[in-house]
Amino acid sequence: MEDDGGRRTILGQGGDRVKLNVGGKLFETTVSTLRSGGPDSLLSVLTNRNSDEPVFIDRDPEIFSALLALLRSNRLPSTAKRFSNQELIDEAVYYGIESQLRSALAPSRLSGIDASLFSTIRPTSDGVVTDFNAVDSDGSVWVAHGGQVSVYDWSLTHTETIRTHLDYISSVRKVGPDLAGVASEFESGLHFYNLANGRRVGSVEWTDPSDPRIYKARVHAVVDSPDSVFAAFECQHRENCVLSIDKSTMKAVSELGRQSGNSAKSTVVGKLTFLPEINALVGVSVTAGAFGYAGYVRLWDSRSGDVVWETNEPGSGRSSRFGDSFADVDFDREDLTMFKICSKSGDLAVADLRKLSEDPWVYLEEKNPCMRNSGGGTSSLIHCYRQQVFVGREGGLEVWSRMVENRSDVERERVLHEGLYRRNYMDKVEDAGRGIIKKIEGAGDRLFVSREDAEGIEVWQSSQFSGAVLSL
Amino acid sequence: MPPFIGSHPLSSGFSRNSIDSSSNIVTIDVGGHLFQTTKQTLKQSGSKSILSEISNLDGSIPFIDRDPEMFSILLSLLRTGNLPSKAKTFDIQDLVFESQFYGVEHLLLNSHSNPSQFEPFDLEKSLILPLSGRDSPTAISTTQLGSVQVAHGCKITSFDWSLKRKSTILTQFAGIDSMLSVSPNVVAAGATDFSGLQIIDVSKGFVKETLNWENVTKSGSTVQGIGASKEFLFTSFESSRRNSNCIMIYDLSDNGFRPVSEIGHYEIFGAELDSAIPATKLRWIPSYNLLMAAGSHSGPSGVRGNIRFWDLRSGNAVWEIKENVDCFADCTVSDDLSAILKVGVHSGEVFISDLRNIGKENTWTCLGDSRKATNGKKEGFGSKIESHGNQVFCSKGGNLELWSEVLIGSSIKDRVFRKNSMGRAKDSCGNKITHFSFGGNKMFVTRKDQQFVEVWQSSVRGF
Repeated sequence: MEDDGGRRTILGQGGDRVKLNVGGKLFETTVSTLRSGGPDSLLSVLTNRNSDEPVFIDRDPEIFSALLALLRSNRLPSTAKRFSNQELIDEAVYYGIESQLRSALAPSRLSGIDASLFSTIRPTSDGVVTDFNAVDSDGSVWVAHGGQVSVYDWSLTHTETIRTHLDYISSVRKVGPDLAGVASEFESGLHFYNLANGRRVGSVEWTDPSDPRIYKARVHAVVDSPDSVFAAFECQHRENCVLSIDKSTMKAVSELGRQSGNSAKSTVVGKLTFLPEINALVGVSVTAGAFGYAGYVRLWDSRSGDVVWETNEPGSGRSSRFGDSFADVDFDREDLTMFKICSKSGDLAVADLRKLSEDPWVYLEEKNPCMRNSGGGTSSLIHCYRQQVFVGREGGLEVWSRMVENRSDVERERVLHEGLYRRNYMDKVEDAGRGIIKKIEGAGDRLFVSREDAEGIEVWQSSQFSGAVLSL
Repeated sequence: MPPFIGSHPLSSGFSRNSIDSSSNIVTIDVGGHLFQTTKQTLKQSGSKSILSEISNLDGSIPFIDRDPEMFSILLSLLRTGNLPSKAKTFDIQDLVFESQFYGVEHLLLNSHSNPSQFEPFDLEKSLILPLSGRDSPTAISTTQLGSVQVAHGCKITSFDWSLKRKSTILTQFAGIDSMLSVSPNVVAAGATDFSGLQIIDVSKGFVKETLNWENVTKSGSTVQGIGASKEFLFTSFESSRRNSNCIMIYDLSDNGFRPVSEIGHYEIFGAELDSAIPATKLRWIPSYNLLMAAGSHSGPSGVRGNIRFWDLRSGNAVWEIKENVDCFADCTVSDDLSAILKVGVHSGEVFISDLRNIGKENTWTCLGDSRKATNGKKEGFGSKIESHGNQVFCSKGGNLELWSEVLIGSSIKDRVFRKNSMGRAKDSCGNKITHFSFGGNKMFVTRKDQQFVEVWQSSVRGF
């Protein structure tokens, strides 16, 4: 295949060749190169002409030469560095080859052991980020700062900002192409804003006609599935539930797991995750009090609304780690595994979501000698992305990566054991000084990190460039 | 403009004599480099530029003896409307000169300082314009295209739209208290301690005209405030003896500054305090055809003031708001929001009054925390409030607030406004903001005791 293509480019018949005159410079290329931009692109439309005359395109020839090189080789030449990303994007949109440029500019696969701080997104006003939602399909991010929501697109360029009626947005979620779901822990309801015109297009409050005490409920977590939005509501008197909201009507459809909220086992869900593979909704609640951490993980079938599995800590069962309940839990959507970080020891444990039992946890062993003495689970949080587990401990950022094993695939399948993951620091000592990590989210091969009381969101990426600098 | 059109083969290089006059493609030789483009692209430059003249030429390839690299940048500008990033290797000033040669400065300006590119939620402090000497700015005026004039001491420094060139002129004033740009190179300036409104050409530095109000006492007339609509210039005068005041209307259309009429003429009789307050802020409301004139007076009994709305044709005040409790420290009007806005001198809070409810009782609605309204401290003292588009900007001490309306679809009765504090953490707690103004895609801010102007603009458009 590869060889054939190569020969065709070299030996191509006269009929396959196309001449273009871009802004006075003559280019010659093949039909197949121009068509690689997709059937709808301006360049492939040009190949349908039956004429030997060069087509004249009134654009800048230098940028065109960079984009032609991109079509020929699927990578941007180094000459493209002379142009800003915005210019390349504008020009690629003109020629209809934006998707090629996107993939050429996209970061390489995120590897936690080889990632560095790429840039920091800084909103211009109210810069302290209260929540954000990174979009996995393209690596864009929707940022809530104060009462505003800003969108940064796949190239991390600021595209829009709207002001909502809330003063402090504690949850933001992209629920549609231009639709954001926003909520605050200090004001009631879940509200939908259209980002294009800044208008509120809908809002959902938790009400119960038979119970007048259910009013002014605040939202503590939001997540969405392809057709629904789930939000965890809590009333003033701590009664709480998860509402399932239909995306098309923006109305509440059903209540999941309504509970009194008067003990640690029934407090409001603080973290919601949707697992599309098994159509399950998972709620995690963690409370920290004078007697340490307590919490639960609850898994619902999102269609029937039934609780499929549930675990409480400190548990009543035969947990091997009594008094060391989790500080945070996250889920690997690809592997269908669940990770928890212990509040006291700081240990990481993994569980298989397909073989859930009363005590499913496998505690991962520390193998990296230089990290032996670091740990402790105070204000730690975890996030799973690309089969890696990213852990924030105070200001430090670490990554647990899976070892490649020599056992056969069949054997390796679903056997979780202590030595499966290796722990490494992702950041430098000085990075940790920027503040306690508040949220980590991976999307589009980027890792977005926000910190307590620090302005902006850090964007971490892996790169193949050595970044060598002259030492003077 | 069609993106592409067929042409005859050029593979053997450009043949100088085979230019087909019916073809849309134009070949130009600039400093030895050949460029090809279309007539439509060249016509973007407007009928007066030499580029559109070239597009009408037939026959041989025109030769322009200029720098080809600069031309390629300007050609990109014609094609896309934006400057390419290689323009960064040149100083904007060189580009301005070159664009003036080709007659395409307006396009450069448009790509650079278009008011439609003003993004209120994305403003950041991006430039500092230093002023020579030791005087702090006392007045600032801007044009729609983003040039700015700053009065400091007895001087006026004007910056062009690219903010790369400035010129400073000397005036007769000891200090200028109000200034307004009438046209790109002409400002109207006045002072509260010097008689007459002067129309000054800031590019050449001479006084075109001095306008005075012939008051009854035959004393001088000092300027308290300046405002303008598309056709008229409004000036609030007070007699030097401070016993009468009025608003003069001048015709702007023929550049002669012909006085049209005089409204709101008040003479002081006895101890009636209200009539003695001259208007210090004049704002035209185009969609209502009304002039807002506001003035306040700080006396032993507290701060009192009034906001009047004048109908120019009848010369009558159609509505008046008397401000006795928590009088405005500053007020403004927003046509886009259909609202009057003030910041209370005692409470320091922003209040709104809907122009559509004009004449009703209980005028003001507090947008902030209304409980503070009665504590008597002058927290809002020195605050400024201005509207731009549908946004409201309010300065409090060294900080700027941006108030914007959240559209959540309820009636005009309970409109929802929310506040953002502007700038990043490092920008706050600066010296007290004395003036701010808008022009092009930028906001200009001056502060107490600082001999420079801050320029705030959107980061994406930064050059």
